[in-house]
Amino acid sequence: MKKFLPPLIPFVVVTLAVEWMVRGGWVPSYLVPAPSAVLRALFDSRDELAAAFAKTSAAALIGFALSTFTGMAIAVLLSSSRAIQRSFYPYAVFFQTVPIIAIAPLLVIWFGYGMKTVIASAFIVSIFPVIANTLTGLLSTDPALRDLFRLYGASAGVTLVKLRFPAALPQILTGLRVASGLAVIGAIVGEFIGGQGLGSVVDVARTQQRVDKVFAAVLLASLLGLGLFALINLISALTLRRWHTSEQTR
Amino acid sequence: MNRRTFLGASAALLAACGKPAHNQKTLRLALNWKPDPQFGGFYAAPYQKHGLDVEILPGGAGTPTVQMIGARSTEFGVVSGDELVVARSRGNDVVALFAVFQNCPQGIMAHASRHVASIGDVMKEGTLAIQRGLPYARILEKKYGFDHVKVVPSPGGDISAFLHDEKFAQQCFVMSEPLLARHAGVDVKVFPVADIGYNPYTTVLATSGAQLKSDPDRTKAMVAAVREGWGAYLNDPGPTNARMHDLNPSMDAAMFAEVAEAQKPYIETHQERTSLGSMTAERWMTLIGQLADLGDIPQAMPAQDCFRNI
Repeated sequence: MKKFLPPLIPFVVVTLAVEWMVRGGWVPSYLVPAPSAVLRALFDSRDELAAAFAKTSAAALIGFALSTFTGMAIAVLLSSSRAIQRSFYPYAVFFQTVPIIAIAPLLVIWFGYGMKTVIASAFIVSIFPVIANTLTGLLSTDPALRDLFRLYGASAGVTLVKLRFPAALPQILTGLRVASGLAVIGAIVGEFIGGQGLGSVVDVARTQQRVDKVFAAVLLASLLGLGLFALINLISALTLRRWHTSEQTR
Repeated sequence: MNRRTFLGASAALLAACGKPAHNQKTLRLALNWKPDPQFGGFYAAPYQKHGLDVEILPGGAGTPTVQMIGARSTEFGVVSGDELVVARSRGNDVVALFAVFQNCPQGIMAHASRHVASIGDVMKEGTLAIQRGLPYARILEKKYGFDHVKVVPSPGGDISAFLHDEKFAQQCFVMSEPLLARHAGVDVKVFPVADIGYNPYTTVLATSGAQLKSDPDRTKAMVAAVREGWGAYLNDPGPTNARMHDLNPSMDAAMFAEVAEAQKPYIETHQERTSLGSMTAERWMTLIGQLADLGDIPQAMPAQDCFRNI
């Protein structure tokens, strides 16, 4: 309760304030919907929204999982030698700067309409933070411990699995936290052009000037982002609490 | 700085903050797309001659001009007729003043090689890219069903997916995407949505009821300037096209000329130039009825509230 009360207070205050401003006519409802109208839209379109939520969740999760594994693998490869890092890291940065909206029509041609395009979009926008953070983590192993491993004749593989990777976990998890939110954004953007899920609901509702429904869909999308974030936090707590300060102070 | 000047300066600053940043003398006109021939008359209009200072704000995909008018972040905006009726039903008092396209220039384009004879044939197989929220998309769905055709989102003005797939059809401006496709070497067949009985006014100059009431003289002058501008643009689009091409270089100069010519029959349906842009209650009534049938608006509304011929 102590943990949930502080964020709950601003939520209740802001919600009530918006409701009051819309009902009082200070803010027209076609610009900002009353929270009660959003709730009603959630309820009235529950079947459509639930199906859309399931699709978006699936695409965001698959895209996120792909960028997690691919991103870590790329980071391991990049960390293996300075030369490889110099040659390929700039291309990893490229993913960070891809204006996804601009290449969206191409994604449709490459992957077709539907799920694959949406997953690709979620993957492209969420992979870079995984690469960058994992790489930083892998490159900042304590030199003393690395020397110790060398002294005992540990192979590169053993050093990676037993030392460098566990030591990089805090950074990796930070990368995953950032990537989880981006995966949801990527999925929604992908859905604008790939056509399904919450992105499609937002697109249609916007055309019909149904601001209440747009907000209802956006609310579900952010819940999805929060869910993924909470999942990473859980993994973080489970893996770090025995040794890393960031999880011990709570 | 002594205390008094400090207070004075603070007061001045506060006053400056309280004032709207926008210059009251300038009227804003928000477009819902980049500068292109469908806005030719707006760029050609002799605003100064009518005593107006007008700033044209180009838009992009999904620029919510109808909401911008309601929020008073623009005095005038370009909207479509159906958008306006839906906005009014949601309490947004937006009024149409001048309808550029008297006949709806929207349609569905398909590859000519498919030998389809009607929209119904297009619905029988393949893919249809269309914005599902649009009323005519749902009229098509009601009439033909979307069971046999795969419906995907509209790619805006982009035709790359269309060129790539022979069974791909997409919504279009009848004088825009089909030209692009033909230039790319693909022969197309175009079905205007007016053929299925849906023919709202589009590229409509609109304003808020409040603007109409508080500033009637300049609103009237605005309509007069726009009407004159469209007359001039229909006569000779060349100079205005050159100006718009500078603002929107992604569309080439030849295309500007071609589109300007192709759109003429949709704009100039009246004999008299003086009645350019004027609207009738019957047309609005038909549209209101169609939108009520679709459930886009909860109930019908008086047609004469939607527009003003001035």
